[in-house]
Amino acid sequence: MSAPVPEADVVLRRVTKAFGSVVAVNDLTLEIPRGIFLSLLGPSGCGKTTTLRLIAGFEQPSEGDVFIRGQRVNLVPAYRRDFSMVFQNFALFPHMTVTNNVAFGLRMRRIPRAEREARVREALALVHLAGFEDRYPKQLSGGQQQRVALARAIVVRPTVLLLDEPLGSLDKKLREEMQVELRQLQRAIGITAVFVTHDQEEALTLSDRVAVMNGGRIEQMGTPRELYERPATDFVANFLGVSNIFEGRIIGRQDGEARVAIGPIQVSVAWEPGLDAGGPVRVAVRPEKIRLGAPDEPGGLPARLRHVVYLGATTHFYLEGPDGGSLVVHVQNVSPDTALWTPGDKVSCHMEPRSVFVLRKG
Amino acid sequence: MEWLLRFIRTRWAWALVLPPLLFFLAFFVGPLLYLFFVSLHDVSQAEMYGTRLTMENYVRIAGDPFYHFIIRRTLTAGLAVSGLSLLIGYPVALSMVRMSPSRRSLLLMVLLFPLMVSNVIRAYGWIAILGRRGVVNKVLGDVGLIQAPLPLMYSLETVVVGLLTILLPYMIICLLNALLTVDRNLEEAAQALGAGPARTFLHVTLPLSTPGIASGLLLVFLLTLSAYVTVQLLGGAQSKMLVSLVYDSVMTFVWPRAAALAFVLLAISLAITTLMLKGIRPQRVQGKG
Amino acid sequence: MRKVSWTLRIVTLLSLVIILGPIAIVVLVSFSPSDFFAFPPRGLSLRWFHEFFRIPSMRAAYLLSLEVALTASVLAAVLGTLAALFLARRRGAVVGLLNALFLSPLVFPTIIIGVALLLFFRRVGMPILPGLILAHALIGTPYCIRLVLTSLQAFDVSLEEAGQSLGASPVRTFFLITLPSIRPGLLSGWLFAFIVSFGELNTALFLTGPGVTTLPIEIFAYLQFQGSQLVIAAASTLQICLVIILVVTIERLVGLSSMVQSR
Repeated sequence: MSAPVPEADVVLRRVTKAFGSVVAVNDLTLEIPRGIFLSLLGPSGCGKTTTLRLIAGFEQPSEGDVFIRGQRVNLVPAYRRDFSMVFQNFALFPHMTVTNNVAFGLRMRRIPRAEREARVREALALVHLAGFEDRYPKQLSGGQQQRVALARAIVVRPTVLLLDEPLGSLDKKLREEMQVELRQLQRAIGITAVFVTHDQEEALTLSDRVAVMNGGRIEQMGTPRELYERPATDFVANFLGVSNIFEGRIIGRQDGEARVAIGPIQVSVAWEPGLDAGGPVRVAVRPEKIRLGAPDEPGGLPARLRHVVYLGATTHFYLEGPDGGSLVVHVQNVSPDTALWTPGDKVSCHMEPRSVFVLRKG
Repeated sequence: MEWLLRFIRTRWAWALVLPPLLFFLAFFVGPLLYLFFVSLHDVSQAEMYGTRLTMENYVRIAGDPFYHFIIRRTLTAGLAVSGLSLLIGYPVALSMVRMSPSRRSLLLMVLLFPLMVSNVIRAYGWIAILGRRGVVNKVLGDVGLIQAPLPLMYSLETVVVGLLTILLPYMIICLLNALLTVDRNLEEAAQALGAGPARTFLHVTLPLSTPGIASGLLLVFLLTLSAYVTVQLLGGAQSKMLVSLVYDSVMTFVWPRAAALAFVLLAISLAITTLMLKGIRPQRVQGKG
Repeated sequence: MRKVSWTLRIVTLLSLVIILGPIAIVVLVSFSPSDFFAFPPRGLSLRWFHEFFRIPSMRAAYLLSLEVALTASVLAAVLGTLAALFLARRRGAVVGLLNALFLSPLVFPTIIIGVALLLFFRRVGMPILPGLILAHALIGTPYCIRLVLTSLQAFDVSLEEAGQSLGASPVRTFFLITLPSIRPGLLSGWLFAFIVSFGELNTALFLTGPGVTTLPIEIFAYLQFQGSQLVIAAASTLQICLVIILVVTIERLVGLSSMVQSR
């Protein structure tokens, strides 16, 4: 078995982790390139936190291998692995001042005092907490505590920074501020970061790459745009935003595109292996990629409007399609007269070209 | 090799528990087993115990009406003390539940303090009160109500009163624990459904406090069984209980008999414990079937 | 309704009187200037305290009680902390059994522990003083376990993981992070074991010997066989004062109510 490519800071190869009869992580393979901000995204119980803890060394894999900077670390205990972690509840040492908290990792690495003090000052400045050196954690607000936790984690300059839903206990506004700060910090020091969250918006905001997890496996990994525009499975499509799903039939192929019949209309999807003429196919389209038109406008799927929700910047339309299935359409309120449909109206739904994608079951 | 390292890594916590475990095995479980072992032997003049395995020590106790009498008296005292402590302790616990937390903490401290004072001192207190030259007789004599000092000591009643006041804090604390876990909302729900304070107490509070009642009764009863010094000082030779007989037997150093008697005491303790736990079934209240 | 709460109050007051009364009387008696007990007391005097320190057997018993309590409580604190660390992290049937085992001296008839240990120590030839210390350590350990456990349960395990993520080995993590956090529980447990040992009777009854008695046993012997009980009152008051000081200290450290309400 060859060692993995050195450019990947963290590699998990065919890792399985079972707790008794519960399999938390199932045959997972993951390569995290250097300097990337990766989010592990998924519902609770999907195995994202377990995966993080496997990288940290707080859990040992039942099967498979974990590599950090090319070195197999299965047998290396957590305190000897080169990482640091930011915890959801901050985990600041209550009996130590901010300075001592931040300096702890440096003390463990036997960094001499002068250098320690300089680096602590630097880290605190980076998180905008200069002047808080002698405070105790209980004297700090939630946001300040989180920043101390961050400073403590980055001051040791680890290979990889692990974050376990660190912004979960902050209120919305603070969370959004911290997201921006966190991202800027990560870019500034160029560290590889693995971020666990169940909030898809947070994942999309922060990450270079997102790995969507479900039932202990990675359903799909890619850039935020890839995941949103081209979700590979039902699960990913529904976890990241909303989709309208249709059962269609492939009727032909033409220049790298396949023609699919959905009810009375036809759409084009990018062709991929496995799409055979005459065969069934599941396709989906995002709600903002559908345009509503007059019921007699040709080329659109006929539907009847059931429910309208006005949200200020957008209007959400809930419709009933020709076969009884439900449709969701989001429309930007570009002008005050945009989309003044009322429930009961008949409309036609036009999909934007090249916006329909194929779904694999899962 | 890797398997071994993993095994050690996940099981290292067991090394923590080894010292206390060995200590308990060596100085608790071991000696008790040895005591039981000795109780199953015949008496010997020269050695601590003879060579023959036998049940005769237990048979002796089972057949002797004197022991029956003492055991009956012991159980009566135990029931009296635990029953009375429940009757008196419950109102106290109730009033403590309704206090402000700071007041309650203060009262708790006041209740815990006497538990730490040695029982011999607390028994001495009662001697100072009920003795021939004690407070009661002194006051009554000075006032002229009595000519000669009242013999208030050395009776079963004295022992019960003494034990009651010594063990009452235990009962109060057990009850308090249980009552504090009774959700205020449940009582309010009952009242919203039309139950007055008395009915709410009877149908909601009281049943939910059963675990506390059970553990309180059990604790007080068990402590009564073991309270040698108090029984000796307040009961004298007239009111010996099973624990006094155990002590006397041990002091004769006829080990097989003493050991058997000790285990009779233990057996009674276990029987009471099982009865109490089965009978009141605290688990049901805690929602565990 | 008001009648009920008044009844409750009266019962509470009466209970406090009967619980604390005897102790108060003892303290009062110890300051009595005369040879016999006069009620109401005719003045205060420290003569019985002087008397107490004058009698060699009393002095010796007091010192021995201190010595035994100190050693036994330290031993109990160490064993208790180890046990508590284990019990706090592990689950399972075996752990439940161990939990029951370690806490059983609290409900087990201590008189029988005394008998069993007397027999055992005779058999193996254990000298008196170490035997007594071991017995008291056994009795004190459950209290330490209880108190350290409450501290541990409030302690956040992620603090230890944070320490490890920063490079601290398990041993360093314990001393630098865990120990400071459980210090209140540990200290309280130690003090509790101390008081318990100091006032302990049921095992001391059997495990003390000629020249090696604890203060409670000495008091008991005096009450049974000798006159002059007022010296006993002084001895008792000394223990009572010790208890008050320790109880207040523990309350400051850990809040007694927390210890009692952990189930």
